Amino acid sequence: MATTFKTFLNNDITSTKTLLHEAIPLTGTLASGTYNAGGATTDTYNGTNIKNYAHGMFQSVYDYPYLSSSANHIYDLTVGYAASSALSASTNTTMQSKKINIYNQMAQLMVGYNTSGDIRPFDEDGNLVAGGTKLRDCIFMSFARLLAKDEIKKGSFTLKVGTGSYATPFDNNSVITISDSGKENDYRVNSPAGEYAILSATAGAGAGWTTAPACGLIFYQAGIVVLSSSVFQSGSSLSGQNGGIGGATAGGGPSTPFRPNGTYISASLTGSAISSSCNYFRNRIQDISFNNTTELNSTIHFCRVNHNDFNYSSNPTYLSSSKIVVKNNTLDAPISYITTVGLYSSDNELLAVAKLSEALKKDPTNEMTIRVRLDY
Amino acid sequence: MAFLDNSGDIILDAVLTDTGRYRLAQGNGSFKITKFALGDDEINYGSYDKNNASGSAYYDLEILQTPILEAFTNNTSTMKSKLLSIPRTNLLYLPVLVQNSTQPTAKASGSSEIHVVCVDETTVGSSNAAGFIVNTTGQGTVADIALTNGFLNGFQPGQQQNLIRVDQGLNTNELAATAAIDADLLETQYIVEMDNRLGTLTRGNGDFAPAQISFVDDDNIASYYFSLGTDQNTFMGNLAGTGYETNIKGPAGTIIYFMIQASTELQTSTYLFQQLGAQTSMTNVAGASQNVRYIDSNIKVTGATTGYSINLPIRFIKSIPA
Repeated sequence: MATTFKTFLNNDITSTKTLLHEAIPLTGTLASGTYNAGGATTDTYNGTNIKNYAHGMFQSVYDYPYLSSSANHIYDLTVGYAASSALSASTNTTMQSKKINIYNQMAQLMVGYNTSGDIRPFDEDGNLVAGGTKLRDCIFMSFARLLAKDEIKKGSFTLKVGTGSYATPFDNNSVITISDSGKENDYRVNSPAGEYAILSATAGAGAGWTTAPACGLIFYQAGIVVLSSSVFQSGSSLSGQNGGIGGATAGGGPSTPFRPNGTYISASLTGSAISSSCNYFRNRIQDISFNNTTELNSTIHFCRVNHNDFNYSSNPTYLSSSKIVVKNNTLDAPISYITTVGLYSSDNELLAVAKLSEALKKDPTNEMTIRVRLDY
Repeated sequence: MAFLDNSGDIILDAVLTDTGRYRLAQGNGSFKITKFALGDDEINYGSYDKNNASGSAYYDLEILQTPILEAFTNNTSTMKSKLLSIPRTNLLYLPVLVQNSTQPTAKASGSSEIHVVCVDETTVGSSNAAGFIVNTTGQGTVADIALTNGFLNGFQPGQQQNLIRVDQGLNTNELAATAAIDADLLETQYIVEMDNRLGTLTRGNGDFAPAQISFVDDDNIASYYFSLGTDQNTFMGNLAGTGYETNIKGPAGTIIYFMIQASTELQTSTYLFQQLGAQTSMTNVAGASQNVRYIDSNIKVTGATTGYSINLPIRFIKSIPA
């Protein structure tokens, strides 16, 4: 009986899972200058790749002027503080309710609720039971799925920020590196949003401190970085590692003049709009890099072609007046050439197709197994 | 689609077809791969030079250098010609499918290979106004086949004998027509595909009932399956020893025949004609020129056993009122 199909047997189909990683380098110029609108002052700087919204709740960063169809959304920035933060008692209340809302939204998603149903604040070391230092004044970076894909690869995240003056944030060894280095096997699983790790900071050679204080959290599957504002300010007004890293010495060095007028991030969080605080933070981003992870679930079909399979063709050019053109007489072996593999349902619907990069010769003297992998 | 890089290792470019994605999205288990077939769409076996003076290594040199295109995702655009498994290696002839042009009711229109389907009563014609099948004197009805060769009554298929017929067999003078075709090469099942928006297949005799559609894919292509066991004498027949008129020159196999019922949309609306077709003027059965809208399409008939297929050109016409 002539046939054109061959049925898969049980051992012809198998499934696998593969993790695919891509390196994502995001230079600071994307965030702070490549697409400067031109003539913008330092305080009102907004590149054409920075999108602000009328509601003012967050700011989006694109890799190209966002009005262009070529632009890709990279990440969003926003800031917020908890109602229990010392900042909420400030007399400066610019967008205070929105900042508290942002903090609560992020906290309930990332940290969840306590047994009383109250939103937990972000915890510096992830130990929710023991209490400890809470991060109540934060900068939030949410990476687009386009970049983060299924998750950020553990241990691959690095954020370099300048803690110098506003005009020259990266001068005099003032760049600190915030990363999750070494956290591949040191992460937490008590978040409702998946796995997360503690971010720690290391300073430049001239900073005067070399320890690695905790300064935020990175939620891998959510693709969200929660940065303690204490990165930029020491002192008791801000919660976080030892009252702030401050940019010079861990545990209480001088604070970073966060705003163009030289005031600190606490003043920005209370007295500036969310978008302005985001602008000031973007001004200090030197580099971001991480690897993303894509989880590929694959089904592999082994198309086993035996010596007596598929040696003839129904190609119209295969015949001339019904005679097989590759044969001179009945003793010649039939020959065919494979270019395509079609995968079919039981009622002959073509569900998937695979093309070989070059034609494969098939005759009764050879056998082959073609491995077709479909990724989902 | 671009060509695949064939400068190094052999790579395999695999994609889900649009139908595959559609079935996957349905989530009802209809996405289940159970079998595979191999194709050779790009290969022109005419390039096989079996008399090359340099030796057998050069016979298929041109074929092996054929550049291969990336996979098409449209399920109807690929796997047009499949490879065939036959345990015997001593075959020198394989059967083909040909459009019948000898039986009076199956002849195509004029000198062309095309069949023309009249989609509504006005286009068919009546005793009041001539159309492309019936004129005012009653000609063009069942008794006047020759007058309307290639014109099918898509309005009421049973009112006329014309049909479309495809014959299978070894189309060669080198084998006696009286010989029987090998049993393992006899087509006992056919797959017919046509655009479901334009019409449906109906039986070529008896009650002219519509055929049962097996499935309609995401491109509105309906697939019909016919088997010798269940559809003999309604859609299929066996040529051997039956006295059927055929243009198969050698041993004959089976036949498939059908009529076409135009879709309700073609009968009652000009929307698809405007979207997919154009206008022209054609000569009606009374010899007068008549303006019509038309849609050109294909019906694909594939033998399930040998995988051999043939595309039949078909034109749907609808008269434009003067």
